[in-house]
Amino acid sequence: MKVGLFLGCNMPALRPDNEKAIRVSLESLGVEVVDLEGAACCPAYGTFWSADEEAALAVGAWNYSIAEKMGVDMVVQCGSCYSTLKMSRHKLINGKLQEINEKFLSKVGAKYEGKSDTKHITDFLYNTIGVDKIKSSLKYSMKGLKAVVQVPCHTIRPSKILGFDDPENPQVLKELTRALGAEVPTFTRDKQCCGGAGGYARNNRRAALEFLKLKLDSMKEEVDPDCIVVSCITCLMWMDEAQEEMRKLGMIDYSIPVFDYNQLLAICQGHDPQKVARIAATPRDEVIVKILENKI
Amino acid sequence: MPINLKEERDPELVKQIVEVGGEDLLKCYQCGTCIADCPTGIADEPLSVKRLIHIAKLGLAEVLIEDESPWMCVTCTGCEERCPRDARPFEIVLAIRRWQCLEDETYIPQTLTEIYERGHTQNVVNPMREELDLPEIKTVATREDLLEKFRQLLRETRVVKEHGYMFGIMEG
Repeated sequence: MKVGLFLGCNMPALRPDNEKAIRVSLESLGVEVVDLEGAACCPAYGTFWSADEEAALAVGAWNYSIAEKMGVDMVVQCGSCYSTLKMSRHKLINGKLQEINEKFLSKVGAKYEGKSDTKHITDFLYNTIGVDKIKSSLKYSMKGLKAVVQVPCHTIRPSKILGFDDPENPQVLKELTRALGAEVPTFTRDKQCCGGAGGYARNNRRAALEFLKLKLDSMKEEVDPDCIVVSCITCLMWMDEAQEEMRKLGMIDYSIPVFDYNQLLAICQGHDPQKVARIAATPRDEVIVKILENKI
Repeated sequence: MPINLKEERDPELVKQIVEVGGEDLLKCYQCGTCIADCPTGIADEPLSVKRLIHIAKLGLAEVLIEDESPWMCVTCTGCEERCPRDARPFEIVLAIRRWQCLEDETYIPQTLTEIYERGHTQNVVNPMREELDLPEIKTVATREDLLEKFRQLLRETRVVKEHGYMFGIMEG
């Protein structure tokens, strides 16, 4: 099976270890990962979507035209990229396709016919690969570890346009995490957004930090997890780095390691943690050591 | 900021917002579901789509142009999912941003020029790639010919055409 890996901007720029984790863990599952030559920003909602929707659709169609030419669907981890790529496709195939092709893509010799699609990596892992295949690729287990999941908002809503899971009670990331052997308890603010995307943290940092603290306090008090599992670069960076900021500000006195799902998957598959989970503000070593003690 | 009903009204305001993608704004019956679950609820000045719609319907363009709350949106789309009228509040947030960009170009996000410049919001070629044995980036960031094509595509868009100087494009 062949997929086009849509990198986006934040992951290669700031967390290349996360990109490494995605590439090697997919390869261990027998997936051929190809690079989308000439891909650009998705574009994010805070960019062209906020100034000129037609321009946003033109950029989205540009990205799709590359995947389509290569004969692949795109797989993406970043929630924001996933949402905007699905939104572009939805608006294109429901009326705008011909116009965007004529006005923009044809000017640069490109074309999108509406064939190529995008899948979020958790959808791909759960519904295309399946938990059985994931389980059989593991060399280590998260047995004995308690993990809570942060389901990225952008992968569940608007459900009519991009959904692949129950929008009010999403289970895919939980099931994927259980497949690694972890216990996945639930807590009061389980479904709360992390608050890291868009302009919140930039426009009102105090409020965005307090919003995240509500969620962290809830999980700490109710289940005291060993780690948080995310599958979105923004959730990852925000929940990891904002914790460090809050510790320095005296807002919290605890520390909950944050991993992207594919980082844990790659570690459980036996890949080098120094390569697949190198960058973090909140230390993750204890969790990694515990996984490596659990040889299957 | 309180709404002052003595303020000058612009009867065209709703129409202008509808034209840039806010067509479902007319469905809103001001129930407040959109703000009940909004992450910005604890902000100093929360983002209230309900309130923004009310301002638009009253035609208070001067109030709306000063309101920066649409730019605080987390883009979580909780409001979009739960709106009982299917008024698509998130689309209205984006439409109001677009209207603000049309009325006052200082609202146009700086990141648009970054994307024009290098195809991404930032430099995506991290020097750590080699240490991690990652393959070379193949996006427009490293493909000068494709980046030029991408820029050519962007030069066909309204926002770039109308604000060429922001993107370093000289007239003529």
